[in-house]
This record gives sequence, structure tokens and C-alpha cells, in this order.
Amino acid sequence: MQLQQLLQQGLVWQGQQHQPHDQQQFLDSGWAELNQHLGGGWLRGSVNELQVAQPFSGELALLVPLLRQLQRPSLWLNPPAQPYWPGLLHQHIKQPPLLVRTSCNEHAVWVLEQTMQSRQCGLLLAWLPSLPAAWVRRLQQCAEQHQQLLFVFSSWQPSDEARAYVNRLQLQRPADKPQLGFQVGIKKRRFGWPLPPFRCPVDQLLPARRRLLT
Amino acid sequence: MNAWLYVHAPQLLLDTQLALQTTAQQQQPQILLDGSRVGARQVVQCNQAAAAAGIRLHMAEVTATTLLADVQLRPYQAQQEQRILAQLAQLWYQDIAHIALYPPQGLLFEVASMLRLYGGFEGLLQQLQQRLQEWPIRYVVASGDTPMRARLLAQAGCSLLSNDARTVQQAVAQLPITASGLEPLHITRLQQVGITTIGALQQRHRSALGKRFGRAMTQYLAQLSGELPTPQQYYQPPAQFHQQLDLLAEVASWAQLVFPLRRLLQQLEAFLQVRQLSVRGLLLRVTHRDGQHTEQLIGFAHPVWQLKDMLGLTQLQLERQQLPEPALELALRAQRLEPRQQQHNDLVQASAEVAAPTQPLGELVSRLQARLGERAVQLPQPQRDWRPQQAQQWQLWQATATSAGLMPQLPRPLWLLDPEQPIDPQHWQLQWGPERLASGWWDDTPCQRDYYVALDQQQRQGWIFHSQQGWFVHGWFT
Repeated sequence: MQLQQLLQQGLVWQGQQHQPHDQQQFLDSGWAELNQHLGGGWLRGSVNELQVAQPFSGELALLVPLLRQLQRPSLWLNPPAQPYWPGLLHQHIKQPPLLVRTSCNEHAVWVLEQTMQSRQCGLLLAWLPSLPAAWVRRLQQCAEQHQQLLFVFSSWQPSDEARAYVNRLQLQRPADKPQLGFQVGIKKRRFGWPLPPFRCPVDQLLPARRRLLT
Repeated sequence: MNAWLYVHAPQLLLDTQLALQTTAQQQQPQILLDGSRVGARQVVQCNQAAAAAGIRLHMAEVTATTLLADVQLRPYQAQQEQRILAQLAQLWYQDIAHIALYPPQGLLFEVASMLRLYGGFEGLLQQLQQRLQEWPIRYVVASGDTPMRARLLAQAGCSLLSNDARTVQQAVAQLPITASGLEPLHITRLQQVGITTIGALQQRHRSALGKRFGRAMTQYLAQLSGELPTPQQYYQPPAQFHQQLDLLAEVASWAQLVFPLRRLLQQLEAFLQVRQLSVRGLLLRVTHRDGQHTEQLIGFAHPVWQLKDMLGLTQLQLERQQLPEPALELALRAQRLEPRQQQHNDLVQASAEVAAPTQPLGELVSRLQARLGERAVQLPQPQRDWRPQQAQQWQLWQATATSAGLMPQLPRPLWLLDPEQPIDPQHWQLQWGPERLASGWWDDTPCQRDYYVALDQQQRQGWIFHSQQGWFVHGWFT
């Protein structure tokens, strides 16, 4: 009875309720299942964390559909290797990557804030080892204010420390079970509970397997 | 109608030096001594603290130091004052079209057309004063129907501003003959015959005066009355911006140089504004005590012309620098001047972006480069080369648009490893290939490789190649 009253007063938020979201504020991620789980796609004006079990396992392929939509250059902050422009062109990505390298985390956060404030980059990609909670909050506020989309790639983090990321995804490609393919687990999302890993067909975008000529 | 205005700044050099000091330093008595004339060094300029202590102009150095033991003494440098005068002219050139330099301390303005623009002398003076907000120099302004009359009045310290020519003529007539600007020998001779004012001189018959004092005297009188027009060489702003500033005390770090630098940049802003130019780079040159120089080049990724932009970006870049030795002099040269361009911003943004950009990309890159260094921000340029490494070149960001390049038909990875890493082919599962690339025999980096797309043990798709040196992984597709 009391719970009903509270519900009527709108004081209890129910996770299962699927609220109608404005489609305008989402960017299509290119993956149907992921879109569904994230409430429509990547939220515009958000900082998302992608925890990568092993670099180059498919995390960039996951973002290729997003990169294809861009109308402005993307910012790549401290990537683990050189982005390769012919490879990006091969994937029909038309906007060049703006490569920035910084020596410390403070500079990195400064670069991200400046870039978001300028609104000149369509997408921000940052490879950062780990960020303190206060900085994540700052970045999230900045992203929301300027409606910028930022992805932070970090290593797999076992602990459950809270961070202000809108979405926290865990990406891996289990080496012992190759049939599982590229797995995306959702540790945190805005409109729902965490989800166990599911398969994301990023291999579709990769070079088709052909028979060897030799 | 009084068409001429003369500005006389008797303490120009000292006032400029004071403007760069802190308030506490300004309170110290300071004098400038001129040693160029015969005899003992004389006080030529003194600040208010020194004047309050009884120091007067043309006082001998000995007297001044006896009056006030802790007075700061500096030599008077005529050349430098002349440079400052030119700077002053450049500053006011924004307001007044015709300026003639009267070194060492005077400027003559032709204001007949300007008075209508500014609504009389008050408006004009207000405009002039506004320009000098951050450069507090003391000066006397006087108007005149002829350039000479305005000059004599101002030099005598009589700031008469009037539209009536007769008022000016009367005021000039009352000036003592010592203020006439004639040769000292002539002045003495005139005084000896009882002519003590300029008015008295003018009443004399001109031909008689000419007979006694020579042609110079008749010319002087003709110029005074305006019968002989004085040709004026009007100030022409230089095409290049190069200014320098003397620092009165040694400065040990770039951070302390920001204040004097601000002054120089202010002049640069005025310089750029007059010409509708923008600047892409600054060269700062610092002179040390032993006469050696340190130069610091500051580049902007986009053209700038406003003080706050230039100062902000310069500060960001200087934060990373160290000054090897204390500095005594700071010079600023503008490099790569460009005409300003209108920026075209689309009214309707492309659909993927909600918010309109607040600044162009170049500005962002400028800011990032200023803080992180030029090499920290790069953009790839596609090259027509078969060799994977040469197919893209990283370049410092430039305003030029990147050419899209050719879309490769064969698979190319999203990541390129530089340098390539050796691998054990046993652990890789070939998926596609080979693509043979043999190129570059014409230069030092020939390339003869067979490329494959392959999976490693973690099922990651890599770009590997085989060459004479063995097997290597060169990129990742994921």
C-alpha cells in the first residue's frame, strides 16, 4: 500500500520501465543488439568507458559504424599505435583522425575538455590507463554541456569502483572459445541493469576470409 | 581655424620606463642624466618623487645626488626616446591620419579634417587619452594656426586649445623670447637689445631683423606667421612589425616577461588593426647582459590579431620554456603577416552535429599546440605510395584541408605499428593473401614483402608480412 503511494508520487524509479527516449539524442551504434541494450544507441553528450581485455581485439571495429557517420574530424588521444589513414579510408571513414599525444593524464584531460568546448571534433577517442572519479565527472559534465561524445579506452578493471561514465562496456574476444566471437558485456548503462556479455558481429566489417592463394 | 595640434611630452623616456614599473618602484626618485653636452652631466628628466625632493631640470648631477642620496640615476638615451616617439606615433596613427615626428619629444598633428570627426578638440583629446590608458605619459597639447605656433605653445607648457586663431597669436606673442626656439646666441643678442617676448620680436621690422640676424631669422618669422608653409614629413607606419623594449631590471623567467610583452603585443594589435592583417607567428628575442640573444619562435595554427588571443597563446607556449639567463631587453617581431579572411560558417550545420561550432578547428589546434608542443598534434596526409609506411605521412596540423586520397581496394588495417614487430608465424593462422608489395627501389627504403591477413592466438585480425628478414606484424584491423 505504502509502496503504491510512493510509486504514484514518482519517488521510486523502476529499472524495467522502458521510458520513451527522444530518438534525436542517440547516435546509431551500427549494431542492432547494442542499440537495443543502450536504449537506442550511443547517447549524445556522454562519456563511455570501453574496458578492453586485450588491445586490438575489435574495439575499434565496434566504433567503425560511428566513425563512418562523422562530419568532422575525430580526435585520437594517446592511441596505442598509429591510426592508419588508408585503413580508415578502406573502411569508408571520410574524416581524418587528429592525433594528439600527451605526456600525463592532466594534459590529457585538459585536451579533452578543450576539444569538447570547441565542438570541432565529431568524436573523441581517448586511451587512458585509469581516471580518478573526479575527473570522469568533470569530463561527463563537459560532454553533456557541449553535447560531445567521448570514448575512454582502458584496461579491464576488475574492481567495481563507481565512475560517472554513462555506459561502461567490457570488450573481449575469448581466446579459448573462438566460436563466441567478439563479446560485449555491459557493466553499467543509463537505462537499465548490467547485462552479461553478448556477441557483437564486428567481424562483418573486417576483411572477408578467403582461401589462400598459396 | 586652428588646424594644427602639437603634443609635447617632456618626460617621454622616463615616463615610459615608469609605466613598466610597479607602484612601489614608481615612488622611488628617479632621474635621467644627459652626458652628451659639454660639462657635467645634467638632469634632463625626473619623476615626481625626485621633483618633490627639490631636483630640477638642468641641475648638475652633483647637486642632484647631494640633495637626494638614494636617487636612481640612469643615462638619457636619445635614440631610444626617438624609438618610443615612433611607437607613440604608431599608437595614435589609429586616430589621426597626419602625424609628423618632431624628435625627441614632439608630435605634430594636422587635425583640420579630424576635428569634425571627433566633434572638436575635446572629443579628439579624449580619443587620444583613451589610447594612452596603459601608457601614462605626461604631455602638453596646444593648438595653433601654424605648426610653429602650436609647437612653441606646447613646448612652453601652455596647453591652449582654441578654435580662434587670434587667441593663439596673442598667447604666442606673450611667450618669452627664451621659448622661441631660436639659437641661444640670437636669444642673448635679442635680450641685450630689450626684446624679451616673441610679440616684441614680431613688431620689429622684418627686413631690419634680417639684416642683423641673417636669413634664418626672416625664415623663422615667416614660418611663425604661416607665410612660409613648413613642409611636413608625415609619419608612415612601417610595413614590418619590430619593436623592442628595455627592461629596467634583469628578468629571470618568461613568466615575468609577460607584463612587458603585453605592452608589445598591444602595439602589435594596433599595427595589425590599422592594416587589417593577421599574424601566424611571433619571434621573441631576449637580450642578455653579455649581449647574447635567446630567440623563441611562437607559431599559431590559425591567424590571430587580437591581444587576448596572442597573449593567451604566447603565455601557454612560454609556460613550457625556460629562460637560460636573465634578460635585459625584449624584442618582438611579427612573422608571416596575412590579410584577414572572413570566416565562413554555415548557418545550417550538417545533420550529425547539433551545436554550432564556437570556434574553428584551427583555433583548437593552436591552443593544444601551445600547451603541448607543436609535435603533439598531428594529422595524416595520404601519399601516393605503395609502401605501407609511406602511404601516410604525419604532418603538423595546417590550415589546409586534407586531401581524401584514394580509397585502397585491397584490405588495409586501421592500425599501423611503427616499427613492425617480429612474430613467430607458427602462432598465426593465415586468412587471406598474399599481396606482394615490391617498391621503393629508387630510394633508401626499398620494400619487398608479402602481406597476409592473419589471426593470432587471441583471434585478433592482424596484417602480417614476410620478407627476407623474417615474419613481422605490421598492423591490426580491429
